[in-house]
Amino acid sequence: MSFDLNFIGILIGAIMASSVPLILAASGELITERSGVLNLGVEGMMIIGAISGFALMVVTDNLFFAVVGSMLSGLIISLIFGLLTQSLLTNHVATGLALTIFGIGMSAMIGKNFVGIPGKEFPLLFVNLKESIPFLGPVFFGHSIILYFAFGLPFFTNYFLKKTKTGLIIRAVGDSPTSASNQGINVTLVRYSCILYGGAMCGLAGAYLSLIYTPQWIENMTGGRGWIALALVVFATWSPIKVLIGALIFGGITILQLHMQAVGLRIPVQLLSALPYIMTIIVLVVISRDSRKIKLNTPTSLGQIFYKEK
Amino acid sequence: MNTKLKVSEISKIYPGCIANDKVSLEFGSGKIYALLGENGAGKSTLVKILSGVVKPDEGEVFLNDESIKLNSPLDAKKNNIGMVFQHFNLFETLSVFENLSIDIDKKDEELRALVNDILKKYNFKIDLDIPVLNLSAGQKQKVEIIRCLIRNPKVLIMDEPTSVLTEQETDDLFISLKQFSKDGILIIYITHKLKEVLSLCDEVAVMRKGKVVSVSNTIDEKIESLANKMVGENLNTIKKKINNFKKSEEILKISNLNFTSDDPYETNLNNLNLSLKKGECLGIAGISGNGQNELFQILSGEIITEGTSIMFRNKEIGKLNPKERREYLMAFSPEDRISQAAVPELKIYENVALNNFKSSNFFEKGLVNEKKIKEHSKKILSNFSVNTDNVELKSQFLSGGNLQKLIIGRELITSPELLVCFNPTWGLDVGAINYIHETLIQINEQGKSSILISTDNDELLKLSDRICVIYKGKLSKIMNADTVSAEKLGILMGGGSID
Repeated sequence: MSFDLNFIGILIGAIMASSVPLILAASGELITERSGVLNLGVEGMMIIGAISGFALMVVTDNLFFAVVGSMLSGLIISLIFGLLTQSLLTNHVATGLALTIFGIGMSAMIGKNFVGIPGKEFPLLFVNLKESIPFLGPVFFGHSIILYFAFGLPFFTNYFLKKTKTGLIIRAVGDSPTSASNQGINVTLVRYSCILYGGAMCGLAGAYLSLIYTPQWIENMTGGRGWIALALVVFATWSPIKVLIGALIFGGITILQLHMQAVGLRIPVQLLSALPYIMTIIVLVVISRDSRKIKLNTPTSLGQIFYKEK
Repeated sequence: MNTKLKVSEISKIYPGCIANDKVSLEFGSGKIYALLGENGAGKSTLVKILSGVVKPDEGEVFLNDESIKLNSPLDAKKNNIGMVFQHFNLFETLSVFENLSIDIDKKDEELRALVNDILKKYNFKIDLDIPVLNLSAGQKQKVEIIRCLIRNPKVLIMDEPTSVLTEQETDDLFISLKQFSKDGILIIYITHKLKEVLSLCDEVAVMRKGKVVSVSNTIDEKIESLANKMVGENLNTIKKKINNFKKSEEILKISNLNFTSDDPYETNLNNLNLSLKKGECLGIAGISGNGQNELFQILSGEIITEGTSIMFRNKEIGKLNPKERREYLMAFSPEDRISQAAVPELKIYENVALNNFKSSNFFEKGLVNEKKIKEHSKKILSNFSVNTDNVELKSQFLSGGNLQKLIIGRELITSPELLVCFNPTWGLDVGAINYIHETLIQINEQGKSSILISTDNDELLKLSDRICVIYKGKLSKIMNADTVSAEKLGILMGGGSID
């Protein structure tokens, strides 16, 4: 019996690990969108984070530099998006799509020399506790520091948006940039900051994939997770806690359906592979039914270009 | 604590338009100043300059004889200049308290105490913890005023504050403004409503085409003298003949109109019943946001409601879409000219073609018959004196008045039996308003009917034969217009009742 329980614990641990990139990227994008900016470049920023993290790890042989570097590269590429949409007033949707295409191509080019190089072992915390406590051990211990950070992030984001002055200003800008500007808030600065923060989080999400989850470089290794993160933000109606729930459901069903495939259930593989997407959407739609709350959480100015009167 | 505010030789030029041309004015505390002018006279530009939103090309602003720089709204705040804009600068999804706290460096408890003091002092009743989108327009304005008051303003500028208020709310506002003035705040009141100038203000400056044309004490002025200064010419007033409809036949009958929406921004409609005779104009008054939008969309067929019967010329049309209703000779002029009535990026003739009928042959075998549409458009432009004959012009380059003439013309050129219009003169200047009013009276004289949904009581009393008020999605009793006064309407619009 204790073996079974431990196995479930390990399974839950694996689910948590697989949802980390989604939580990081979606939490970052959530802040960006709350300020009224729609950045569809999440996938591109993630993959740039993944390759720069891995490349820096190989070149410097230092995991700390690799992680910080991945965040910086995500930040720099989101700065391109910021310059285009906030200073040159280009369309958010088109610019975001271009960013993703650019990121995928750029990462493939840089990554050519890094294919096949083995990754470095990432230090895991509390490994002895993981093995000594049945069930709870593998759930709570033996993870990387980034996982603990990721699971704290939605709660911090929620507190930040609801309780702090800066959070209030971000929500105000997302509600009405014109009003905010007339109140003396520097809308462009707020939106730039939110874009850069989103970029850094997407970069970190990418680095988690290439340094910890599957420690190696494979072309296109984000595999659409950026798009899932984007969808999570919308289906979670811009609530950080619901983003966490959605990411866990998605990660959970992805792992479970792999096990179901391995067991050889007589369900078509294609249907099983589609299951995480379907279930995540259904659950999030069901928990976000309250149309009043949706109205109050939706950044009214999402995707609108802000032009200041002179 | 005396405050003196002086603007000196202010100029602001936009491409193709001189918004302010060497404007110089002086204000002192203890008085309420009116800044009067038509739309486009330059009042709003001057006010935006004073509040730091727009930078002037030339000129200076002096506060207590010291030159001040107003490069941003923050500078205006630093100099204790408070501003209540015509279009509220509030964050709809945030709570009232969050709206107030956003740009103030005070602890929450401290600010709450301060706000509660202001609420008590001026007898405002507002729940601080509900989202702003749940407030009425009058309450939203109070939030804006409180936002200024918590900064101890020396100057308070109100930009067209009564355009969204009921008569009662307007009276309340005037009492508050007089109180602020007594407390030493200098008040500048921007408006194009002449009555308000006379009843509230001590001094009045009239602006026309970017220039100050007159400054005087309001005691020395009358409505007519101010109107002529404002427009710069003598206006002829139009009046409607009183008709007798008892004999004419009923053209429209609506029974049991109910509408429930999940959208918190929309208003539910509750058991509306009305009927309309040939040649009659039914006015529907009310403060915006009481269900006018929804009623208009139900009349036009944009919203189809279950269980409602709409009989038009003895046919049930409740399930028909807007195009099908137009085929039955109904016509519609929505409130929002730019986004609902016309597509600004399209050319004039393309906008005309949007109203396409089976009989009009604008399209043949799926192809656009450009020649036919252009001829038809030219006819509209000349018949309805739109200020251009170029049908290739993009609609966004028409002024509000000309665009409205085009829209009304497009609707009327097919001689419909019923025209439903919603705030047809909203934001237009006096000349265009006169033209639209004449047109609406004309169609009644030709035996066609109209429904006029409007927030402008003077317009309603001038044009309607019968009149009713919509309040929170319910219609009042329908009254003959000659038995109704603006005061009566005001009471009903605020939810009161009359006998």
